[in-house]
Amino acid sequence: MTMVAHAEAIAAFRFSPLTSPLAIVVVLSLVVGLLMVVLFGYTSDQKAISRAKDQLKAHLLAVRLYRDQIPVVMGSYGKILRGTGSYLKLAFKPLLYVIIPITLLMVQIDRYLGQTPLPVNAPFLLTVHLGEQSSNAKAADASMAVDAMNKVTLELPPEITMTAPPVHIDADNEVVWRLAGTKDGEYELKIVAAGQSATKAVCVGSDLPRISTVRLRGRFWERMFSSAEPALPEKSPIESISINYPDRNIEVAGYGMNWIWLFFILSMVAGFIFKELLGIQI
Amino acid sequence: MNRMWEAIARLDYAQGRLVRLPASATKLGYGFSLSPLYCQRRHFADKSVRTTRVLLLVLIFLPTLAHAYAGPGAGFAVLSSFWAIFVAFLYSFYALVTWPFRQLFRFIRRRNAYGKATFERAVILGFDGMDPELAERFMKEGRLPNLSKLREKGTFSRLRTTFPAISPVAWSTFMTGVNPGKHNIYDFLARDTSNYLPYLSSAEIKGPKRHIKIGKYSIPFGKTEIKAMRKGTPFWHWLGNAGIFSSVIRVPVTFPPEKFQGVLLSGMCVPDLKGSQGTFCLCTTRASEDRFREGGVRVPIERKNGVCRSYVPGPDNPLVEKAGELRADFEIRPELGSKSARFVFGSEKFTLKIGEYSEWLPAEFKAGMGFTAHGICRFYLKGVSPEVEIYVTPVNIDPGHPDLPISHPVTYSIYLAKLFGPYATLGLAEDTWALNEHVLDDDAFLAQAYGNHEDRERMLFDALDKTRQGLCTCVFDTTDRVQHMFWRYLEEDHPAARDVPHSQHPPVIQDLYERMDRLIGRVMEKIDDDTLLMVISDHGFKSFARCMNVNAWLYQNGYLALKEGKTESGDWFEDVDWSRTRAYTMGLNGLYLNIKGREKQGIVDPAEAEALKDELQKGLNGLVDPASGAVGITGVFIADNVYRGPYTENSPDLIVGYGAGYRASWDSVMGKVTGQIFEDNTKAWSGDHCIDPRLVPGVLFSSHKFIADKPAIVDVAPTILKLFGLALPGHFDGKPWTLAAKVRIDTA
Repeated sequence: MTMVAHAEAIAAFRFSPLTSPLAIVVVLSLVVGLLMVVLFGYTSDQKAISRAKDQLKAHLLAVRLYRDQIPVVMGSYGKILRGTGSYLKLAFKPLLYVIIPITLLMVQIDRYLGQTPLPVNAPFLLTVHLGEQSSNAKAADASMAVDAMNKVTLELPPEITMTAPPVHIDADNEVVWRLAGTKDGEYELKIVAAGQSATKAVCVGSDLPRISTVRLRGRFWERMFSSAEPALPEKSPIESISINYPDRNIEVAGYGMNWIWLFFILSMVAGFIFKELLGIQI
Repeated sequence: MNRMWEAIARLDYAQGRLVRLPASATKLGYGFSLSPLYCQRRHFADKSVRTTRVLLLVLIFLPTLAHAYAGPGAGFAVLSSFWAIFVAFLYSFYALVTWPFRQLFRFIRRRNAYGKATFERAVILGFDGMDPELAERFMKEGRLPNLSKLREKGTFSRLRTTFPAISPVAWSTFMTGVNPGKHNIYDFLARDTSNYLPYLSSAEIKGPKRHIKIGKYSIPFGKTEIKAMRKGTPFWHWLGNAGIFSSVIRVPVTFPPEKFQGVLLSGMCVPDLKGSQGTFCLCTTRASEDRFREGGVRVPIERKNGVCRSYVPGPDNPLVEKAGELRADFEIRPELGSKSARFVFGSEKFTLKIGEYSEWLPAEFKAGMGFTAHGICRFYLKGVSPEVEIYVTPVNIDPGHPDLPISHPVTYSIYLAKLFGPYATLGLAEDTWALNEHVLDDDAFLAQAYGNHEDRERMLFDALDKTRQGLCTCVFDTTDRVQHMFWRYLEEDHPAARDVPHSQHPPVIQDLYERMDRLIGRVMEKIDDDTLLMVISDHGFKSFARCMNVNAWLYQNGYLALKEGKTESGDWFEDVDWSRTRAYTMGLNGLYLNIKGREKQGIVDPAEAEALKDELQKGLNGLVDPASGAVGITGVFIADNVYRGPYTENSPDLIVGYGAGYRASWDSVMGKVTGQIFEDNTKAWSGDHCIDPRLVPGVLFSSHKFIADKPAIVDVAPTILKLFGLALPGHFDGKPWTLAAKVRIDTA
């Protein structure tokens, strides 16, 4: 087999239905469904949950059985509300165990499945948001601030071209460029402001790369959830650099949806099946 | 939490700024506006991030979406709790909105249901077998303060019972207000005239008629048919017709449950999952060929490498003919040091110490093709060394998943199971057979009986809470079972307790009455002046020290014949020569003539029947026990004189009324002819009431004073209907009592 044939085989596999975003979400949902149900089973008080659920069902049945007796109906309704509280309280502890790994996992998966890379030759926007220092400057001397924004420059690799001159949004301290990628690949854009430079990764193509929509300065928690790149230097005048990657919609039965909703539905279904099979009370 | 909402709001605002640019800001210094592409792309680029962030934030602090986000984990918790609230809301809303219309409809149809009622609510506590003499004795000793209070301010009287004084007969009369000739219950058992074999008198259960054959399987198609043999209409049906709600708990002979306006949990006569009236199981490593005479089976335990395996026998496989019984396997690991054992039974794992019961556990019997019979049972560890022995209760119908209807509506048993956990559903839930056979000891039996009793108490108090108007009635069997099994300790020289010095006899029955009195006290705290409280029993109790085999007497006196060469028969008239037999007895009090044209091998001409009845009455009445000189039979009653109604043809021809201290022998009940007429009763079952009904009246206590001449259990139904202002049906045999006055009972 020639090298070309090998490459074609690999490419065919990479883009086969088995490795499509849909397949990944399905497999992931099943695995996560199983793991989370097992984890929930181990970390929860199964007997107490079972009792709490039974109590809820009993009060529901009471509403039906004694429907002509309004005081009983209202009393049962109150017990249902109280029972729901106890039930959720019991589910909270295992939820804490479940929530941490699943949150981290979902943040990471969102890097791959949340957005698609930028299509070749399709325009996209690069937004540079300048920090407070520039705002102060603006307050002190509006013309100097405008000058500072005018001095923000962009250096592009050969595969990325600028399709329009930059736009300055003074009110927001932002400079926006319209760019386009001419070839598949991952590139670095270099932005220079007030003599300091910063880079921003950009992905062009149709694969499943790890995408970072924004690079931020500070803001640890936001970076944790939103950015896949190192923080901008603390002293940088740039507060954030973002690219408007298109959302990835996964097609299911003719409907496009974000992977999170699909994951939510499928993992619920998987969890429902596994909880029955494993006899775990949820 | 507020801080979190602020954070979310800030986040939203920050995101919103990018897509909701102020008009002034979108105007660029270069003379053109931001293209729609900017806004749109920017919006989409951040949408998933925002979705993720918002979901995660909300997830942490708002359990509902948190679970949803966790999806496979706690999501179901939230969805189901949300669903519960949603459904409850809908029900409540429906109930509230439609309530005035329903009330109006009822008012128009039946006028005001409670308009003529003397009381808003009637509470009837049935203490099966509570004896008036014992009650008087304990009240005199100051042990029953609450019953004494009722006696002083309200009513205390003996309550005449039925002929015979047997629970299913008496409670059927209680609920229908008629004599047995109109409700068709004469004993636990009735006889099949075609083969002289017994069948359960209260209900007939038949499997589906149609089956579909698939290979070795024969799949039933259709419903199991349960036919009520008890006739007559319970008085709560009349109340329901008038718009008065009733909660009826464990009244005997209410299986199968019938529709009416109210809730009902069936009692005595509900079968176990095998269809019997209770078959316990002794799992043991001890090799034995012995079989239990009554109500139980022995199942071997196989021991291998320190692990024991056995099974709980279930019902016969309904899908495969002659496949035998279904089984639920279990595993035991005895731990000799701690005198305990670890059990694995289905999905349940638990440890029991010797002398300890398990909770009620689900027992599933899989028949194949997806068919599963659902039951519940309890394990009791008897010993781990040298032999491993485990007692398993009869497999009760699972109240949370009933394979047969045991309540009306069906959801009522499920409601109780969800509210209080699984509970005994078998009619005779206290395993007297196991104590009789020495499989359980006194303490184990009492633990079981009082465990069931506590479940019943919880149900009663729930019913009291829920039934603020109408009827609330609950029957407690504990009084009957405990007196049956522990009467031996009341007497100095009972044959069943001769091995225990009288001074060491535990005061079990005294404790029982005190416990019942405390229950009454708690009920009295729950009721007001507009509630009538009635405490009744279906019969009293007497000693059962001597057994009498009437079949043996009939044989010795030429009324019953055995086949050539036989001097005794087997069970159910095995070896009886029917061609020469004129009379026979089976069950507790019934004596039957072998009448030509009625019994399959009848020989007594119907024209001669009356003379034969008289002859038997004279021969048996006053029969003396030669060992003691006491009268073994104090009355023989001709059925035609005590019964009237459309079902008298099913009654025995004569009712044998044993004297105090006597009862039909265990063999006689099972249609067996033995060599001796009289013998000692050495079984734990040492007290009884299936004797001359005149000797065992029940009790009547009430919170309000009634004027009644010789009140009888048949009077209860008409009295309740009258108190609720309803007209009495013409067929009633009972007479309503007159209420003397409404007085307040001080419950302090």
